[in-house]
Amino acid sequence: MVATLAGRRLVEAGPAGSGALILEHRPDGRLWAIRAGEARPVVVRRCFPWSEPARYLSLRDEDDREFALVRDPGDLDADSQQALGAALVAAGFVFAVTRVVALDEEVELRHWRVETRQGPRSFQTRLDDWPRAVPRGGLLIRDVAGDLYHIADPARLDQRSRELLWAFVD
Amino acid sequence: MDSELRHLDEQIIARYANQPPRLPPELRRRIEAGGGAAPVLLYALADLDADLRLAETWVVLRPHDLVLARAVGHGDWEIRSVARDRITAVREAPGLSATTLTLLGAPADPPRAVLRYTQRQRRGFENLRFVLEERLAGRDVPTGDADREYAEAVARPVRDTQALVAGRRAAALRRLLGYLRPYRRQLALGLGAAAAITLVSLAPPYLAGYLLDRVIRPAQAGTLSLERASLAGWLAVAAMAVVYLIRQAAAVVRLRLMSVLGEWVARDLRAELYAHLQRLSLAFYSRKKTGSLITRVTADTDRLWEFLAFGVVDVSLSLVMLAGLGAVLLSLDWRLGLVMVLPVPAFCWLIFRHGEGINPLFLRGWRKWSRVTDVLSDTIPGIRVVRAFNQEAREVRRFAERNADVTEEFNRIHRLWTTFWPLLMLGVHGTTVVVWALAVPRLLGGEPALSMGTFVSFLLYTTMFVGPIEIIGQIARTMNRATTSAHRVFEVLDTEPDVRDAPDPVRLSPVRGRVSFENVTFGYDGVRQVIRGVSFDVAPGELIGLVGASGGGKSTIVSLIARFYDVTGGAIRIDGVDVRRLEIGHFRRQVGMVLQDPYLFHGSVLENIRYGHPEAAFEAVVVAARAANAHEFICKLEHGYDTLVGERGHTLSGGERQRVSIARAILHDPRILVLDEATSSVDTETEGEIQEALERLIAGRTVFAIAHRLSTLRRASRLFVVEDGRLVEAGTHHELLQRPRGRYRRLYELQLQLA
Repeated sequence: MVATLAGRRLVEAGPAGSGALILEHRPDGRLWAIRAGEARPVVVRRCFPWSEPARYLSLRDEDDREFALVRDPGDLDADSQQALGAALVAAGFVFAVTRVVALDEEVELRHWRVETRQGPRSFQTRLDDWPRAVPRGGLLIRDVAGDLYHIADPARLDQRSRELLWAFVD
Repeated sequence: MDSELRHLDEQIIARYANQPPRLPPELRRRIEAGGGAAPVLLYALADLDADLRLAETWVVLRPHDLVLARAVGHGDWEIRSVARDRITAVREAPGLSATTLTLLGAPADPPRAVLRYTQRQRRGFENLRFVLEERLAGRDVPTGDADREYAEAVARPVRDTQALVAGRRAAALRRLLGYLRPYRRQLALGLGAAAAITLVSLAPPYLAGYLLDRVIRPAQAGTLSLERASLAGWLAVAAMAVVYLIRQAAAVVRLRLMSVLGEWVARDLRAELYAHLQRLSLAFYSRKKTGSLITRVTADTDRLWEFLAFGVVDVSLSLVMLAGLGAVLLSLDWRLGLVMVLPVPAFCWLIFRHGEGINPLFLRGWRKWSRVTDVLSDTIPGIRVVRAFNQEAREVRRFAERNADVTEEFNRIHRLWTTFWPLLMLGVHGTTVVVWALAVPRLLGGEPALSMGTFVSFLLYTTMFVGPIEIIGQIARTMNRATTSAHRVFEVLDTEPDVRDAPDPVRLSPVRGRVSFENVTFGYDGVRQVIRGVSFDVAPGELIGLVGASGGGKSTIVSLIARFYDVTGGAIRIDGVDVRRLEIGHFRRQVGMVLQDPYLFHGSVLENIRYGHPEAAFEAVVVAARAANAHEFICKLEHGYDTLVGERGHTLSGGERQRVSIARAILHDPRILVLDEATSSVDTETEGEIQEALERLIAGRTVFAIAHRLSTLRRASRLFVVEDGRLVEAGTHHELLQRPRGRYRRLYELQLQLA
């Protein structure tokens, strides 16, 4: 990739050169990117997972090098969009909290019990790790293992959850 | 120790992770019985299904296959096996919270398995993946206890944050009070004085009542002669004075003894803690934040001082005081006594509830306070960047917003407590009003009769209720703070060093400096090895250059030589003796290190050079400094060798710091020397001087030198190329350059091109 600062434009010229990008899920279970005759298995990483989650998607090869940058999935053909969409679900997965059941403080730890769309979950955060407000709304909590918990709209949770979360919401 | 740790990890998983602490025993039996009765080597839990919902699929590694057992409800399992020799590659696709692990088969075939799991299971799967990939590369990795590996992988993040499983507050408190044992005499005296204060405090109201009923009123009524009344009155006044004198004398004894005693205990804890920190291995320091450890030695022990000096006595005597007051009031007049005593539990409960209610406000306040400190810790160290981008106004605005925000939060807290306490006092005074309302008719002749003296005593006693109620209402908070600090201190004290002396350690005298690695393997975490089967033999006096890409394992090799960690496989021998059998302290005195970023302590240049030998003669210091090319610049400093170098030596340049550290190493006179990128952060001119100093330092010692600039290693006896934890090439500079496709040659040519 070459960045041309003078023109204020990011020109894509990845290792495979320019050309139409095709994405497909192959029988080996992986997402493959094909461009200019070169095909590589890739994983998707959002460049702006919270600010601009639907655009600027980095397709990275097995050596974790960018093979292509998808600025807007709408530029891809329908099949590629579908394949990309499926890969994005796993890449962007975080727990979606629907209810805060209990919140206790212990030595060095804050212990959370929550209900999520994925099922009930307990996790711990450090006492000095505060939930973070994310650009497109909601609160993001990171536990000590690195898992992320998103509360899309704290104001719409039940009253008990709101009470428990009150100290963490502006 | 291993079984203790495993037990602790299993407790952590059961308490915090809401998942089984080990592979379910019934499932394990089924797996071990199936497919030729193969043992379980490792396992992990895939806790997400294909739809990314929480699920339970155990992934169990056996010698020849990988067993996948998916919970299908009612204790049933859907089990399938994937032969390891049919797995051609393992691919990991990490996401924000979910990782997908794909086990590939033959090209164009469907994957053998696709597993999804959260970050919590990541370490367990890293272990599995490592073993599978090593096998694919034709290498077998020894695995330990599968239950232990799993439990550690899942519990580690919690254990790194909080080593002790919480919930043992009473035990922590008992243990803390145990530190008072050496000071039993002072403690007894302090408690006695505090008890005396409590008891004599009960006397003045009684004396006041006595004076009114037995002296003043009889004298006014003419039933007591003026002379006798006067004598009794003065005696009562004198008794009052004596009571106050005793009270204040006891207060002096109590305050002084208990605060001094608290300091002694805090001192003992700090000393024990610091001594223990010195014994702990580097692995512990890599897990804990420096700030957190410093806080434990300072703020936490200070908080414990406060608790021991005042909390223990205040709480116990408040209970005694309340019980005493209740008994006295009830004995003076049980009807009025009940009015005062019955609401006390309610007042205590209200204070407790107030404390609970104000907690979220404090939490919110602290969160906003941390946003203020974030701005400070961002912009003060980064002030140059702020200026360079002309962002002063924006930063001032950002700070002002957060400052206003935190002020609003703390004002909210102030509004709450300034409302609560007057209201509570209104409640207390309300009971006094009720006492008045019930007492006045009786004082005016109603039944049962109440004497003026009794009433006055009663009123005076009621004013003494407030203090103990306040303290008892805050017992929970006081205990909570003390036990939290105690936990944090004991957590460190209970951590056993990973590297310890053998029962009968060997002292090599003298150390000659032969260093042998025999098939050494090592991993910091789980089964992942960062050093894999490294073997070499270095003769005394050899200079070995360690080269290779960053992260290849060079620094780990030298850390193992210094025995900062113990190997997980194979052995390291010093002069033929396993390094684990050597006495650590004695051996480390034979090892010197000069690092890329030399660490100087706050103190003078002299103290820093003498760090390993505080008694070294001035002559020896000067000789070492000359050899290190440091003497000249030191003499140019205003205070010469007595110049204070500031925190981490910040008043000196990088090259100067490095030369002081070389002088320190020369004076230390180690038999084995490690140079870790010793010249990489200095300019070319300084590098020459340092190189010259190093050449004097290394003469006659066994030296391991790590350098990215290969030109600095031309004089090495041999060069070891380390890649991916393996020793891939060894030989002299010329020998290695002769290898047409050698790694060293490639690295060397790359550097020549860049030069």
